[in-house]
Amino acid sequence: MDPTAVAQVIFYFFAVLTVASAAIVVFSSSLIYSAFALLFTFFGVAALYVFLGADFLAATQLVIYVGGILILLLFGVMLTHKLYDLDLKTETFQFFPGFLVMAAVLLTLTGVISKTQWVSRGERPLNPTTIAIGLLFMREYILPFEVASVFLLVALIGAAMIVRRRRS
Amino acid sequence: MIGLNHYLFVSAALFSLGVMGVLTRKNAVNVLMGIELILNSANINLVAFSRYSVASLDGQIFAVFVIIIAAAEAAVALAIVLSMYRIVKSVNLDQADTLKG
Amino acid sequence: MNPEILQDLESFVPEIVLTVALLLVVLADISLPKLRTRVTFLVTAVGLLAALCFTVPLFGAGEKALFYNMVALDRMAVFFKGFLILASFLVLLAAPGSKELSSTHLGEFYALLLGVTLGMLLLASSVDMLMLYLSLEMVSLTSYIMVGYLRHDRQSNEASLKYILFGAVSTGSMLYGITLLFGLTGSTKMPAIREALASGGASGGNGMALLVATALILAGFGFKTAAVPFHFWCPDVYTGAPTPVTAFLSVAPKAAGFATLIRFFFSGMSDTTTSASQWSAFSAMNWTSLLILISIITMTLGNIAALRQDNLKRLLAYSSIAHAGYMMMGAAVLSYEGVQAVLIYLITYLFMNLGAFLVVIEIFNQTNSFNVNDYRGLYRRSPFLAISMTIFLLSLMGIPPFAGFFGKLFVFAAAVNHNLAWFAVIGALNSVVAVYYYARVIKAMIIEGGDEGAGFKLAGTSRALVWIMLLPTVGMVLFWDRIQALTGRSWKFFIG
Repeated sequence: MDPTAVAQVIFYFFAVLTVASAAIVVFSSSLIYSAFALLFTFFGVAALYVFLGADFLAATQLVIYVGGILILLLFGVMLTHKLYDLDLKTETFQFFPGFLVMAAVLLTLTGVISKTQWVSRGERPLNPTTIAIGLLFMREYILPFEVASVFLLVALIGAAMIVRRRRS
Repeated sequence: MIGLNHYLFVSAALFSLGVMGVLTRKNAVNVLMGIELILNSANINLVAFSRYSVASLDGQIFAVFVIIIAAAEAAVALAIVLSMYRIVKSVNLDQADTLKG
Repeated sequence: MNPEILQDLESFVPEIVLTVALLLVVLADISLPKLRTRVTFLVTAVGLLAALCFTVPLFGAGEKALFYNMVALDRMAVFFKGFLILASFLVLLAAPGSKELSSTHLGEFYALLLGVTLGMLLLASSVDMLMLYLSLEMVSLTSYIMVGYLRHDRQSNEASLKYILFGAVSTGSMLYGITLLFGLTGSTKMPAIREALASGGASGGNGMALLVATALILAGFGFKTAAVPFHFWCPDVYTGAPTPVTAFLSVAPKAAGFATLIRFFFSGMSDTTTSASQWSAFSAMNWTSLLILISIITMTLGNIAALRQDNLKRLLAYSSIAHAGYMMMGAAVLSYEGVQAVLIYLITYLFMNLGAFLVVIEIFNQTNSFNVNDYRGLYRRSPFLAISMTIFLLSLMGIPPFAGFFGKLFVFAAAVNHNLAWFAVIGALNSVVAVYYYARVIKAMIIEGGDEGAGFKLAGTSRALVWIMLLPTVGMVLFWDRIQALTGRSWKFFIG
């Protein structure tokens, strides 16, 4: 089989997976379905990263988003309902105006994307990126790297402080 | 051939869905999911531009930082949601109305 | 290690001092059980003061970019650094004296205060969009936590929930806009963005993309400065947060938001790099018109909504939205004169707004109320507070000879000098509308009679703090020319 055709099929599969899961996240009336659909969305995005040659980023996405943020969200879902509340239905409000806004945003963006000539400096070859990213963190991006660590410290302290139980 | 625009359309769809989620959902955790969709869509943009337009790793590095920030934001948001739940016993946003004046 | 980075560290001392102080506060908080309240307060105070001392000599250092063009060191950045550290220091002094916060443990509060100050310093000096986003989020996240600091209080929780959800959406949209700009120009650095736009990146079909990108980026700036239509979080968050945090939010992150807005429009979007008195931004549309529109709607909405408020915190929240509108007037004219006007306005605003909030804190300490009806007859119970509040409110109105007058004067003058006299007239009309709600408070305090209560006992530190805010508010008239000279020298940007 023609390799580019295979590549296209796989891309479309993951693209549809991602967008369809995102639609379930947004439209489903069950909170648990939304959370698990989000899991598939994150997986789909990680697959798209692999397609784009971002191997380190795909692994990071899986570890942090799926292994961290999604677990946090699931905890959030579980801990904010009473134990016997098996239904976990969620409600929506202003559905129709929201839908209109979404359609407007989508139309604007697709219009913009199809008409624009993005910068073209050529394509990046599909090389492994981990070493290069590591070097960049220590050179051009050292300031944001260090600031991010202080940022995480402060966020950690703050989040822990908010959730801490009252000391008896 | 899969090109830049394919990825941009995917991310535009994710962004719109995220906006929809934020605007229409009542449950705070659901709104958070919408926010994560928005951030992921921006990340796809960055990586796609990095590969097809800019031909450097700048976009990917930016995406790593976005993931870092998203993680911290989700943690703080959930902490606040939990704290709210302890007091109000609900995280529906229409219960958060004692501040209206 | 790369020698350039070592050199840049010399210019980065304030930020390093703040980081070290932050780490020390965290350590002290977990390791010194008995002394920690005092030690953490002292470490924070010393840290902020030291950072301020190290900021001052940077003013004459010339313009350059640090750390591979991530942040800029120019006079505008140094001005804002000094301003923001000062604002944080004043709030630090006010925090333990407030009844709302004194019942909770403040160790983490001081750590968060140091963290948000660090973030604001970086935000005011970022010239790379990644750095801008990172520092914006740092400021925002710490603010969300500070607002929800009273974690057993329902209003505080509600406020921080609304704040974080609204804020995350705004900054997420801003991020999407930044990615579009990245795709259009190929870089995240503001000088490179400007060059790419100058050499035709925005022509033809790209104009629409640039418009969408910049509109989304403005969502983030609008959120930070509480400009319409991104102001919805402001009244609820200001009302629910502990009042020292409200005071802080109304001044410091707002100022940092203006700093980065100005820098983005100048370094990233303008097409003149000479020291011409006016610059214009590229785009398919006229940004000046949009900013003017935002400014008018913001100040009008703020003023009109404030008319109906009885809760002082909510009233001051809408008042600060209106003031952001006046400041936007200075930014909208997109010229050096406008920038100078914004800087002067910020200086006056710092003292008068913090002063007003300080009085609100003190009155709450004594009466447990924020309602204007409980301010009646204040003059009899504490003439000092009543007079001080009157002065702050008169200054907020823009009445001479108080500081607020000078802020408005320069902003209106900037508009007039750019053939936008009608804009200044709208601003003046808005100020007249504002007189009503400020005057209502003054009338309640001084003229109306209230329940006879005991006289207030003000702690010495509280009294001293109010004096610290009063003196510049009243004394501005004596040294306004020096302020003008200082801000006139401060609009030197790093251009790269």
